[in-house]
Amino acid sequence: MENKELGYFCLVLHDHLPFVRHPEYPDFLEEDWFFQAMCETYLPLLDVYERLSSEGIDFRVTMSLTPPLCNMMSDQLLNERFKNYIYKRIELTEKEVIRTRNTPFYKAALMYEQKFKRIRELYEDYYHGNVLNGFKKFQNAGKIEIITCCATHGFLPLQLRKEAVNAQIKIATDDYLEKFQRMPRGIWLSECAYNPGDDYFLKEYGIRFFFLETHGILYGTPRPRFGVYAPIYCPSGVAAFARDMESAHQVWSAEMGYPGDYRYREFYRDIGYDLEYEYISPYLHLDGVRRNIGIKYYKITGKVSLGEKQPYNPDDAREIAAIHAGNFMFNRERQIEYLHSFLGRKPIIVSMYDAELFGHWWYEGPMFLEYLFRKIHYDQNVIKLITPMEYLSIYPDNQIVQPSMSSWGDKGYNEVWLNGSNDWIYRHLHKATERMIDLANRFHSNTDSKIDRILKQCAREIVLAQSSDWPFLMTVGTAKIYSTRRFVMHIQRFTKLWEIINSGSIDDSYLSDIEWRDNIFPNIDWRAFSAIETMKREKQKGEK
Amino acid sequence: MSSSSGKIGQNQEPDYSSKSLPDGYEKTEAALLPRDPYWMFVYWEITENSKKNIMKQVGEDVFEKSRGVIRVYEVDDKDNIIRSFDIPAIIDAKNWYVNVNECGKSYICEIGLITPDGRFIAIVRTNKVTLPRSGVSDVIDEKWMSVNQEFEKLLQISGVEYIGKGSLEIAKSLAQRWEMLKAVFSRVTSFGVSSFSSQSLQRQEIKEKGFWLVADCELVVYGATQSDANLYIGDRKIKLNPDGTFALRYALSDGQTNIPIKAISNDGSMERGITIKVKRETEKNGK
Repeated sequence: MENKELGYFCLVLHDHLPFVRHPEYPDFLEEDWFFQAMCETYLPLLDVYERLSSEGIDFRVTMSLTPPLCNMMSDQLLNERFKNYIYKRIELTEKEVIRTRNTPFYKAALMYEQKFKRIRELYEDYYHGNVLNGFKKFQNAGKIEIITCCATHGFLPLQLRKEAVNAQIKIATDDYLEKFQRMPRGIWLSECAYNPGDDYFLKEYGIRFFFLETHGILYGTPRPRFGVYAPIYCPSGVAAFARDMESAHQVWSAEMGYPGDYRYREFYRDIGYDLEYEYISPYLHLDGVRRNIGIKYYKITGKVSLGEKQPYNPDDAREIAAIHAGNFMFNRERQIEYLHSFLGRKPIIVSMYDAELFGHWWYEGPMFLEYLFRKIHYDQNVIKLITPMEYLSIYPDNQIVQPSMSSWGDKGYNEVWLNGSNDWIYRHLHKATERMIDLANRFHSNTDSKIDRILKQCAREIVLAQSSDWPFLMTVGTAKIYSTRRFVMHIQRFTKLWEIINSGSIDDSYLSDIEWRDNIFPNIDWRAFSAIETMKREKQKGEK
Repeated sequence: MSSSSGKIGQNQEPDYSSKSLPDGYEKTEAALLPRDPYWMFVYWEITENSKKNIMKQVGEDVFEKSRGVIRVYEVDDKDNIIRSFDIPAIIDAKNWYVNVNECGKSYICEIGLITPDGRFIAIVRTNKVTLPRSGVSDVIDEKWMSVNQEFEKLLQISGVEYIGKGSLEIAKSLAQRWEMLKAVFSRVTSFGVSSFSSQSLQRQEIKEKGFWLVADCELVVYGATQSDANLYIGDRKIKLNPDGTFALRYALSDGQTNIPIKAISNDGSMERGITIKVKRETEKNGK
């Protein structure tokens, strides 16, 4: 049985949401992004891990939990609001089980009731109100490898100053240490966006590997001997693994991807719109506007209008998820056999996905993964699940290649984050960053605690403004107003603090108010922006 | 009580719209950013003081009489200039997208003026940007040698068999797209061009015995007005960028095309118009 496998499969889930937390409002629409992802993706994934572990089924997943997400997961206010969200859902689904009795929707209603109750159980009884406890548990058990990401998902190739790159990495690794009590071994560069040379900063913070889009390695210099089927070492010595397109397309291609099957759940028919207003309004936001509330009773059905969708049958959907998992595994086995036949070494197939697509968009996604892990464990011996570190310990000798600038965004480079809809932000972002660097240089040896508080808040505002989510949302057009306001807000708050520190008269009430609003990274190291810190890293690069 | 989306800035909170940010920071400076293998974005600010200094040195009417340009320098590792070319630009636009012919090279830009007697006056210089290459490297590693065919095979199997969109095809289609853009946009400047789709190009093809030619032409209309003005092209209201600039890209078919552009001041009291007439004739020939 030992070492019979012909190759490896590395599943990478990128878990990220922008930091959205508004204590100044009793109820805030965009906070739902987090609550929905908790109910539909993060907790269902943990549920899968719990079940597999209790049955002794081995599995491996590499997960990036971004620092904004980790900060939201451990935030007291958001956890209180999430608890309330869950209890309201349980109340509603209990009513629904009664209302739908003797209708074709009964099975689905029962499914939701059980699901929300299980989520509550995991969240409160297993993880004591902090899902990070769940992820830590499986990391410590060696089943998952949690990697970090740039501090606020900052888009590194569009930073003008290396100090900004240093700060995004340093603040992220500090936060990881705080949350997981050890240093991260891997990182997900935001949007898979790589800029040659940035790997030296990763090396400095002990990071051993990161991920690239396919052409990041294929277009690297020299030519990569094993294509995307083995990692390479950057000149800094940090390893890079690239995305396999075949497995990516199998899941997500619009024409033939699994999630489009007619038996799966339809995303766009939601009881927030379908049910009588008086009945559903207690579960809507305070403004009373009908919106999706995450309970959906219809299946995709086919190419018919929303009105003609047929009732969802959870058993049929489960069955098809199992079939799709089997098909996915079969294709990976053939792919690995073929690659193995001429590569001259065991290939690694790296499949990278946005985690929120499993569960949130593709409702049955976590179920698909569970079947996939079960089948890989029981039904074959061609493939072995692996993490990047495990692979590097088997194959420590890899080619040295300078990867090419690349991202996983549309068209493969920086255009999603730099186009006519969002290019106006960079003038302001770069100016504010430059001012932050000046402050960090000027006050590097500061010991005054008040100044320290202001500089910490300055650094929080800058990293929040650097988040790639704002220009991304401007490009795709959803939440454009919100993302514009968020960007402008952080620039303005930084500028105000910068003026305060320069004027020398410190307005405590303003500072306290902003600390209360933007509380990400309680122990942020603002010195990460200083040239002294950055030069240290650059110097090491020069010595190479 | 408020709960709804995008309404952070209501009465009790400051203005968080993009217009609340300053137009500039009272400093003459410029920055260059990489967009993809063939495009860069440059933004700049030129203060009134800098303008006055140039006027003092060159002449009071230098800004009216000269053409604005971006001088694009291709540079080596040590910033030595290898070659340069100019692209026309509107100085007051304060930003521009710059198209280059060669990927994988390093560039620095200078924003400046070309005087009527042909002199170049540099106003502000950007940082250096290195653009990525857009294809597979020619450099082969001796320690990790593989036969060429094997590498082709390796590229192909990244999915081509099943889905027709594997690495090779993607690599190729990307390369083709850049080739196309290079052909179409060579030395043509534009800004605000945000989405290219080669399908939307009307292809004029001449095919014979494997030898081929593809060429097409599109039109970029751009300009600037007061940022709070209402701008119309034909009957269509055009959304201005926060700084008052605008840019639109049109398919250009054969024949005469008239583009009437009209700006109406915010209070409706003033109006300015410019009409651009373009004629396209496409002739196909071949032997």
